Amino acid sequence: MPGGVTLSLQARLLIAATVVLAAFLGLTGLVLDKAFRDSAETAVRERLQSHVYALLTAAELDANSVLQLPQDLPDPRFGVIGSGLSAEVRRADDSVHWRSKSALGIEIPATDPIQIGEWRFRQMTSTQGVALFTLDFGVAWEDARRRPQRYIFRVAESFDAFYDQVRRFRRSLWGWLGAVTLLLLAVQGGILRWGLAPLRRVADDLSAIESGSAQRLSGSYPKELRGLTDNLNTLITNARAHLERYRDMLGNLAHSLKTPLAVLRAAMEPKTNDGDLRRITREQVDRMSQIVEYQLHRAAASGRATLSGPVCIAPPARKIVAALTKVYGEKPVQCELHVENDAVFYGDEGDLMEVLGNLADNAYKWCRGRVQISAHTDADANRTQARLVLRIEDDGPGIAEEFTDQVLQRGERADPATAGHGIGLAMVQDIVRLYGGCLKIGRSALGGAAVEIRI
Amino acid sequence: MRLLIVEDEVVLREQLQSQLRKAGYAVDVAADGAEGLHLGNNYPFDLAVVDLGLPKLSGIELIRALRKNSRAFPILILTARSRWQDKVEGLESGADDYLVKPFHTEELLARVRALLRRAAGVTQPVIHCGPIELDTGAQSVCVNSQLLELTAYEYRVLEYLILHAGQVVSKTDLTEHIYDQDFDRDSNVIEVFIGRLRRKLDPEQRYSPIETLRGRGYRFTLECRGA
Repeated sequence: MPGGVTLSLQARLLIAATVVLAAFLGLTGLVLDKAFRDSAETAVRERLQSHVYALLTAAELDANSVLQLPQDLPDPRFGVIGSGLSAEVRRADDSVHWRSKSALGIEIPATDPIQIGEWRFRQMTSTQGVALFTLDFGVAWEDARRRPQRYIFRVAESFDAFYDQVRRFRRSLWGWLGAVTLLLLAVQGGILRWGLAPLRRVADDLSAIESGSAQRLSGSYPKELRGLTDNLNTLITNARAHLERYRDMLGNLAHSLKTPLAVLRAAMEPKTNDGDLRRITREQVDRMSQIVEYQLHRAAASGRATLSGPVCIAPPARKIVAALTKVYGEKPVQCELHVENDAVFYGDEGDLMEVLGNLADNAYKWCRGRVQISAHTDADANRTQARLVLRIEDDGPGIAEEFTDQVLQRGERADPATAGHGIGLAMVQDIVRLYGGCLKIGRSALGGAAVEIRI
Repeated sequence: MRLLIVEDEVVLREQLQSQLRKAGYAVDVAADGAEGLHLGNNYPFDLAVVDLGLPKLSGIELIRALRKNSRAFPILILTARSRWQDKVEGLESGADDYLVKPFHTEELLARVRALLRRAAGVTQPVIHCGPIELDTGAQSVCVNSQLLELTAYEYRVLEYLILHAGQVVSKTDLTEHIYDQDFDRDSNVIEVFIGRLRRKLDPEQRYSPIETLRGRGYRFTLECRGA
């Protein structure tokens, strides 16, 4: 996230874990709360039902066939005003027949008619605004003449006790859940710290490399990180090797320029005539130009094989052939390209083009009319990684065996009359060596030179 | 032949201009890509020499823009970058050849001549047209193996006519291709050159190598071999 604040891995994982944990425990709390409420309501209903049964047991008809309830009821709370538990008996027309003492000041609104034997449990508010649970039971009582008299037994209990119970449960539930959340987060934090410790170690080790107190990542890392640390070590080793190479090349460049400079300085002496001065200047400028060209090419060659992905040979080879066909437009050259589909180069594409370009350029320059470029992987090599075999051939005069070593030297040409710096083959040899490969010059079936490279 | 040089380095630009003029070409110069594009789009050049690292418009962009505008003259890239990736990129953009700095003047001239010949469909440096032999490398003309004394402008006119043998070349075409932008042109001079060339090439009026097409221009009539 360029420009923005990037959270650490630990913070990201901790935030994610907190959100998931909070959601999980929150939902668990809600489900438990609901379950407890339902269970508490069932308990209230059962309690009220037992009160109704007790009232039914206590009730009896007097001589006038009027239903009577005793002064002393089974639960003493019926006799205490404001106890929160009250009872009443209503007639079929919903008029009050009897009320317990505790029902004083509590008016329960009329309800729909109830059938005999039917139970009805409700939550309602009295006309005085008190929240109540009520349980109604319809009953028929036979008088002496066996006439049924219908009554409704109603027991009401204030919400307060229920609320208290639920409140206590909730306090305890959320308290525990909160504590569990904190504990789990602390454990999660600890696990993350422990799990991410190797990454912190890598960062510390890299800082040590940066400050110069270490050469490579040498700690023991978990196998998930070993790929990364191995690659980083390769990268560091390569970067160091490159630096070393650049330093060497700079040194070589500076040293090798000193000789032509010394020759030029000597040529500037008054005794040198103009013709000689011009000749010497030209020779030494050519020499310096050749040195600079060669060292520049060497410095530009990457030689990276370990971290490079495979580069298909065919597309760059086609590009080189198209370019050379254009450059050698005056010369009718028939170029055959035989590149197998699986022929790949594990390295820098620029290096591959340098190799192909220099060799194909030589082939185009020297051929009579035919050039052949082929690439395949060496299947019979007893190696874990297949070797790439690149072969560039032409039907030109070829390179005599006694010259093969010579043409691989910088600045040496088999035919000095032909244009060029004479560094192409030497350059190719350097690149091939950087990749641990080898270059062989031989004779082609086409009649000219065949340069074979194995990488 | 009229050439365009696009090079931002003043000393090199002046050296190139002087060397190519000395070699018998009409030369216009541009110091940056934008100026090069303007000249290339508006004047009939036979070849352009383009440096890659140019201000305002890079050499590659300039070549792409010229090709997009259907400017088909050959383009030679001058580049300090000698990696094959850079060469291929330059050639893919529409250039015809490249020359890596530093270079010898002889090599530059050889490439320029080769590209001019190739554009005219000729592959050999020496072109034979009946008794006339034109050596584009040595910039010399022989008739029946006898070397002719020609002035630079006479040579330019003859070379242009031979490289466009069989085609009608107007006086304006000739003027535009043998003189650069800075030259004070007079199309009557062309008639003078043609007259002198006829006398030198065919004193006995046996071949009539240069035909005048009234109101249209001139045509080199002899069949040429050099391909």
